Amino acid sequence: MLRGAGSWITIVTLAALATPGVAADYVAPRGPGGEHPDLNGIWQALNTANYDIERHLARHSMQLRDGPHGPLPAVDLLKLGAVGAVPPGLGVVTDGPLPYTPEGLAKKRENAANWLERDPEVKCYLPGVPRATYMPHPFQIQQSAAAILIMYQYANAVREVYMEDVGEAPVDSWMGQSVGRWEGDTLVVEVTGLNDQTWFDRAGNHHSDQLKVTERYTPVGPHHLRYEATIEDPVTFTRPWKMSMPLYRRMEPDARLLDFRCVEFVEELMYGEWRRQPLPRP
Amino acid sequence: MNTLSGSLAGGLLAAGLAGAAMAAEIPRTPEGRPDFSGTYNVATLTPLQRPEMFGDNLVLAPEEAARIAEEEAARLAEDLERDDPNRGAPPKGGDGSTGAAGNVGGYNAFWIERGDGAFQINGEFRTSIITDPANGRFPTMTAAAMKGLMERRRFYRENTGEAWWLEAGGVGPYDDPELRPLGERCLLGFGSTAGPPMLPVLYNNTKRIIQNPDTVVILVEMNHDARIVRMNAEHAPPDQRFWLGDSIGYWEGDTLVVDTTNFRNETAMYNATRDLHVVERFRYGEDGQLIYSFTVEDPNVWTEPWSGEYPWPRTDDRMFEYACHEGNYALGGILRGARILEQETMDAKPDAGSD
Amino acid sequence: MNQTLATILAAGAVALAPVAALAHHAFGAEFDPNRPLVLRGPVTKVEWVNPHTWIHIQVEKEDGTSEDWMVEGGTPNTLLRNGLNKRSLEPGTFIVVDGYQSKDRSNRANGRNVTLENGEKIFMGSSGTGAPRDGADPRERR
Repeated sequence: MLRGAGSWITIVTLAALATPGVAADYVAPRGPGGEHPDLNGIWQALNTANYDIERHLARHSMQLRDGPHGPLPAVDLLKLGAVGAVPPGLGVVTDGPLPYTPEGLAKKRENAANWLERDPEVKCYLPGVPRATYMPHPFQIQQSAAAILIMYQYANAVREVYMEDVGEAPVDSWMGQSVGRWEGDTLVVEVTGLNDQTWFDRAGNHHSDQLKVTERYTPVGPHHLRYEATIEDPVTFTRPWKMSMPLYRRMEPDARLLDFRCVEFVEELMYGEWRRQPLPRP
Repeated sequence: MNTLSGSLAGGLLAAGLAGAAMAAEIPRTPEGRPDFSGTYNVATLTPLQRPEMFGDNLVLAPEEAARIAEEEAARLAEDLERDDPNRGAPPKGGDGSTGAAGNVGGYNAFWIERGDGAFQINGEFRTSIITDPANGRFPTMTAAAMKGLMERRRFYRENTGEAWWLEAGGVGPYDDPELRPLGERCLLGFGSTAGPPMLPVLYNNTKRIIQNPDTVVILVEMNHDARIVRMNAEHAPPDQRFWLGDSIGYWEGDTLVVDTTNFRNETAMYNATRDLHVVERFRYGEDGQLIYSFTVEDPNVWTEPWSGEYPWPRTDDRMFEYACHEGNYALGGILRGARILEQETMDAKPDAGSD
Repeated sequence: MNQTLATILAAGAVALAPVAALAHHAFGAEFDPNRPLVLRGPVTKVEWVNPHTWIHIQVEKEDGTSEDWMVEGGTPNTLLRNGLNKRSLEPGTFIVVDGYQSKDRSNRANGRNVTLENGEKIFMGSSGTGAPRDGADPRERR
């Protein structure tokens, strides 16, 4: 055996096993229809992308104000104490920093400075794509031979991935219009028709209604998907950029989506001042 | 003059017979089960409860069905007619419109999609969705439930633009957002559109079924509600409650049975309680249509179970996003309006509104 | 009991079910029958949202100043199924709305009856898109 070849084979094998528990040549069981991998299941991201998609150290709060020795939590968030702190994250953006236009960056900073008032998550608005994927809630993929539906526990958001051309989206929507196709064992989803109301995270990262998201879902093991999303928005960014993260299968035997219809939890905030007998408000 | 209704009736019967000829062609999954996957538009003019004039008669004569379709078409055509662009405002004090139009006229008919006519099953028109009790109407309510209903009906009065509840005393219908209907709060679609039971409503009647051997999902347009039916599973434990209930499914021959329990205190099905129990059946009828049947039980409310059925016609239409809460300008307007009317009443009559 | 069968049956979904079953909210909750109005002016913006489409209109007042109003319509989804889209009512289009003002006294009204300047209903484009199903169009599917 040639030593060179042996070393080469060793290096390749080691690289393939660099992700623990995942074989490079994993072939997922086929789903309904027998042709494509089975994506059915309850999945969840396990990262802090919803706080901030870029790599970040821990922070005092989701909204800050200047203190005598550095930033401090904004007044409205003070009583949350350490519960209100932002955990650190390695980030999910693979080719950052985010390539904002100057106006885009200015708006991001304004968003962050006014997070409590502006983040649509505070009002339980639908999260849009890709944020729905990495909300701290599970989601369920329902796949049949002809159709794919993604149902999110968060705000019972839902979107169908049409597996055929359905033309231009007639109006913009919160969850956009998703059209999918298979490239080998990767489900590629193109999302257009997104409105400009959603954010990427709680750090104020935003987009325009020209956003186009191209997602790729690839099984990499019996209980893991690799999720990638390419973001194109020529109004907000100077070039496309990408994010990537594992998605983990929820392994509990009774795993299922529960109700998180947060609309009822935000009624006091949004409408409480108009009760016949309003409660004290900050 | 009756040629239109005659040809409509003839055409409808012919369509029914043509459907029957295809009865052998039930779409099936690779496992051999009927495949209910697809998109449906369940709008129909057939009411849930039978008008009393029909007594115990479930079947509607074709001439009557034709007349219903004609009159609906005429009503629509009238609403779509050209108006005088120099018209003035509608009458002060209201335009007398009833029901949901609330004395202010609602909006134009082109926003509504409530169906072209009464539905047929196997070529037969029906007088109601409810099939049991025999009179096609809700069974008798329990005394407690009737009392609750009467109390809730206190909340509904003709819209006079006044804060009438101040004089009536007690809780007013607009005191808090939690007192408003679930549809107005954008928690569930109105009128039991997702239920269960799933009933036709004024618009957005599309339903989408995506079926695989382990799970059947029924996607309902309002409020982007996905009913997740776990096949051959056990119900959730009693402390787990769900807005859409907890649905388990199993096959009885070529019928998909869906059993739903574990509702929350507030249900989409009006008047029901957390003890609501719904059994639904999906099957293909002889005419090739998906027939949706259901039985509803709630011993807190009705003295006996009641059942109904209606077809789900396939459609090439698409379902569109119904993001309700995100665009819900109305709820704020309703609450603010009530506060303003209360203030005006109290300013005019300083004694009114004292509790 | 002189209503025709058709009226009873057709109205069944609305009239016979308990009040709670009616449209997502009764208009009676939101709009004031004592404040009828008619608005005339160009569309400035259309919010194609649920549960109600909102058509924004600039209204010229008698004193020559102008005011922004918003008019509540129905669900856009019905229109989308009839082939309309976000370009179906362009800003600048002159419309006439008769309806009633919101009880909260804001510049909102229900789109009880919305027409173009020539009296035709909006969304009834000459291409035929926008016509709800009236049985007359052979292209329509049942």
